[in-house]
Amino acid sequence: MLQAHSFLWHYLWIVPNILLIVLAAILWLRGYGRRFPVFIAFALVEAVGQLSVYAADVAPSVSAENFWRVDWASILTEGLLKFILIGEIFAQIFNPYASIAKVAKYLIRGVGVVLVLASAVAAAFVPKDNPNGLISGAHILEQTTYFIECGLLLFVFLLLYYFRLSASRPTFGIALGLAISSCVHLATWAVIDNAGLSNATRVEIGFLNMAVYHLCVIMWFYFLLVPEKVAEKPGGSLPPNNLELWNRELERLLHP
Amino acid sequence: MTLAIVLVLAAVISLAFILRMAVSRGLESSSQQIVPLDVAAFRNLIDPAEDEYLRSQLAPNEFRHVRRERMQALSAYVQAARRNAAFLIQIGQSALSSSETQTAEAGKRLVNDALLLRRNATVVLFRIYVQQAWPDSGRFAMPVLDRYERMSGSAMLLGRLQNPASPVRASAHW
Repeated sequence: MLQAHSFLWHYLWIVPNILLIVLAAILWLRGYGRRFPVFIAFALVEAVGQLSVYAADVAPSVSAENFWRVDWASILTEGLLKFILIGEIFAQIFNPYASIAKVAKYLIRGVGVVLVLASAVAAAFVPKDNPNGLISGAHILEQTTYFIECGLLLFVFLLLYYFRLSASRPTFGIALGLAISSCVHLATWAVIDNAGLSNATRVEIGFLNMAVYHLCVIMWFYFLLVPEKVAEKPGGSLPPNNLELWNRELERLLHP
Repeated sequence: MTLAIVLVLAAVISLAFILRMAVSRGLESSSQQIVPLDVAAFRNLIDPAEDEYLRSQLAPNEFRHVRRERMQALSAYVQAARRNAAFLIQIGQSALSSSETQTAEAGKRLVNDALLLRRNATVVLFRIYVQQAWPDSGRFAMPVLDRYERMSGSAMLLGRLQNPASPVRASAHW
């Protein structure tokens, strides 16, 4: 069952991507185009990219070399869009709060630079698993993009946790799906690239990747299309506080 | 292989943290309460004159010990203020979705102030820990007062220029 070109393999490669196109269309029709333009673009490009790689894999007329070229193009495009999407998530969460928006932006830029450098170091240590540079390069590129993506998303969640902020349901859902997908893919690509596995095991790990991706697409449906249950909140005014006074005192300490 | 193990471990820990956050998102309770804090006592702890007095009265060893204790008290205050801010962020965020514009605006202001406090408190705590490690390394509140006195002088000058009959006393508000 867990073999390339089995029914499950075809299902896991095609259905999540078709679902993603459907989700993008529904979001567009519901007027989410202004709120999540990058996510809608990402959903379409990701789906089309994956379906193109699938078509290149099953079409007998496509040579192995051309298949890997299509794969490269797909990884690069998706990787770029994912980073822009993380930027959109970040802006949705932190931009409304002027007091931390700027510092958060500086922090994530710094983290981004560190992650790029660290991923380059990690890539340098990956043993070449194929004599064809096109194939081994694609594998390393997968590990590198998921490394940066996973690190950036983890940082977004850490900031959310630290500041006790809660993102809106759709934004949180998009970030959660992307984070789960990137963490699992980072782990699997790290194993594929560095552990010298047999082809059969690599295919089995590919199933895990596809299954997780499918799960994430379903999560996006849930978070973006199912409305949140709004709990009854007691009315009334906000509690009195002396935050401004405390901020003044702390500012005195910080900015002599 | 070592690289694979490191990356897999990093990915698993990240995933566990993110999933924990996702699960706890729906379970957040507001059982926490705001801890009342005495700003006057806090000011006393950061007052450089107090430090100077203690330095002149105590032996260096004793002074270091007392100063460490004062720093511990200071960090307890800042941590409590930071916890209060976290609680207020949750309350403020729940007010953001209010249909009343005034409440939503007040909620946004509250969240912004509380976020700023958490950010400031983190940096202050870091400085306090450094001071605890090196109690003799100087008084970080001293330049604050210097600057405040300069600001106070400027405010008084500005007040005199605007209204020569009633000079401004900025220091009275502190």
